[in-house]
Amino acid sequence: MKIFKKSRPRGSSVLTLRLWDFTGTSMLTLGIWILLIIFLSPLSYMVITSLKSSDEFRDRTAPLLPAQRLTYTYNGKKCDMYQVPTPDGKVHQWALVEAKRQSSKFIDPAHPEAGLIDWQGSWRALTGVYRYRIYWNNYPALWSAVNYPRYLKNSAIIVVIGEIGILLSSIAVAYGFSRFRIPGGKFLFFLLIATIVIPDSITLVPTFYIFSKVFHWWGTFYPLIVPAFFGSAIYIFLLRQNFKSIPRDLDEAAMLDGAGPLRTLVSIIIPQAIPAIVTVGLLYFFNTWNELRMSSLYLGIAPDKQTMAFTGIGGGGIGFTPETLQASAVILMAVPLLVLFLSQRFFMKDMVVTAIEK
Amino acid sequence: MISVKRAVLPRAKNTGAKKHLSLRKYEATVGFLFLLPWLLGFILLKAVPIFTALGFSFTNFQMLRPEQTHFIGLHNYLTFLKDQAAGASLFGSLSYFILSVPIEMLLAMFLAAVFCSERLKGKRIMRTLFFMPSIIPAVAIFLVIFGLIDPRSGWINRLIITPLHLSSSLPLNNLFPIILSLWTIGPGFLIMLAAMQSIPRELYEAARVDGAGPINRFVSITMPLASPAIFFSLVINMISSFGGVALLDRGLAYNQSISPMEGYINYQMFSRSDLGYASALAWVMFIVVMAITILLFRTTRYWVHFPEERTDEDF
Repeated sequence: MKIFKKSRPRGSSVLTLRLWDFTGTSMLTLGIWILLIIFLSPLSYMVITSLKSSDEFRDRTAPLLPAQRLTYTYNGKKCDMYQVPTPDGKVHQWALVEAKRQSSKFIDPAHPEAGLIDWQGSWRALTGVYRYRIYWNNYPALWSAVNYPRYLKNSAIIVVIGEIGILLSSIAVAYGFSRFRIPGGKFLFFLLIATIVIPDSITLVPTFYIFSKVFHWWGTFYPLIVPAFFGSAIYIFLLRQNFKSIPRDLDEAAMLDGAGPLRTLVSIIIPQAIPAIVTVGLLYFFNTWNELRMSSLYLGIAPDKQTMAFTGIGGGGIGFTPETLQASAVILMAVPLLVLFLSQRFFMKDMVVTAIEK
Repeated sequence: MISVKRAVLPRAKNTGAKKHLSLRKYEATVGFLFLLPWLLGFILLKAVPIFTALGFSFTNFQMLRPEQTHFIGLHNYLTFLKDQAAGASLFGSLSYFILSVPIEMLLAMFLAAVFCSERLKGKRIMRTLFFMPSIIPAVAIFLVIFGLIDPRSGWINRLIITPLHLSSSLPLNNLFPIILSLWTIGPGFLIMLAAMQSIPRELYEAARVDGAGPINRFVSITMPLASPAIFFSLVINMISSFGGVALLDRGLAYNQSISPMEGYINYQMFSRSDLGYASALAWVMFIVVMAITILLFRTTRYWVHFPEERTDEDF
């Protein structure tokens, strides 16, 4: 389109071109922002519900946004306020004192001295009077009901030790795959790729039996931490792709200077691959933080060892109501979201799987 | 010190074949040592369990009565053929795969292509926001979706169905897998985006000069050059649709899996403690997933342009 405009002999001035450019840019950007808002809209349900009280959540006539139902205390009794239409066409905000099927007694809070007003009609058809306000109490209530420091500590133990294990092993194996001629190396690499697609279910039966009955690791962190020290096929694959894109001249120069393989890895490869290593570390972090399948299997019987993800299914507290569960999901999400936004500069930046060798 | 490889190789050649051989041996040994953690993990955590599961699948192994285990041949597999619930769960898993993977792939590819445009502003924050749902725990997604589709208080009921007087028997429960798969596009999107952004601009300029329109450029430049990334994200999405962990976790608790087949295996294993039958089911699923994988890899020769892997000779 641009070319067509440019190649026109005369006419389209710089101004119209710019205008065209500006329109295209803003239309595209606006369109994608709208798509983004639709894409993320279900999250608003979570946030908004977490800011409602239990009564508001259960009240089906309440507005969608957090709103409190207004009440009026009459003779020591709390009465709900309603929008009451009267035959003269006016709508009054009255409090319902005595509810009956055919007629009800209301009181006008503005003039309580006028006494009860009889009103003909079904009070159930009336809408309530609401005032928008945010109910923060779910969060402090959760904080005092759920032992968050303990869940955080358990998650931190698993994430930190697992992170050390997964990075050490995956970096070493990726280095082995990317820089050494090993007899049968191609076959081993093929096995690595095949490992990525092996479903968990097939290994679950024997590993669960061995971990729980042979090692007696049921209810401990070991089944969640130990496998990390053997590396993860998909991380090894990603790191190997990245290591391959680092020019070999660099490690050859280092080796000429007398550096051994380990030294070359530490001083040449790792500094060059920091974005990829950070990405793998972050992926492992998100994964472990959210992971509930294995932890519910092995830690379900050990309430004091459970991780943050358990708070999302109402672990550690009794009598979770829908709105407090939503609040707990918000708390559960908060840490990975914070980490994602802080690391957006690095995250997945060097993960190029392409047809063009760098 | 061997791994001095290329730079010193000419000299190494002069010093005789014997030394060259020992150098290669040294290199292989060191390389093998680096592979050792994964190799051990592969044997201990993958190969041995897989074949142990095959062994279990021919027995009536019960978790609570391991001493009564004996060989029952193909009985578990014959049970599977007659078990309607198992067949339904396999069908459910396959249809979830067929339903979710194209949605994920198309949306992720569309987004990646749009994000390559220079006209789009504020890319960094939008990229993070589009990725964001992928790191929301599946537990939280579960709560959101079931809150939305709740037949009484759910927002879909209050905002769409009641005002428009739609029938209340809409299959709203299907929304969970759909939104879950839409919210899993993150890794695939970023992998495809990285691949598309690494395509040299000059190629597009040249094609533009030759008169290729945007769609033509996408089909004949972007798609082939990004095809390894597209294929990689296809594999990732396939794994997570079968309940596996690929890059990011999408699992609920072990007893409420998203993939029906996996859920049924876990039910047999933990609720009925029937490890023998669970192993047989797991093997069926393993064979199905492997067959799909092999099929996918077979198709790659028609559409994926793998980079030229440097062979041993080039080292």
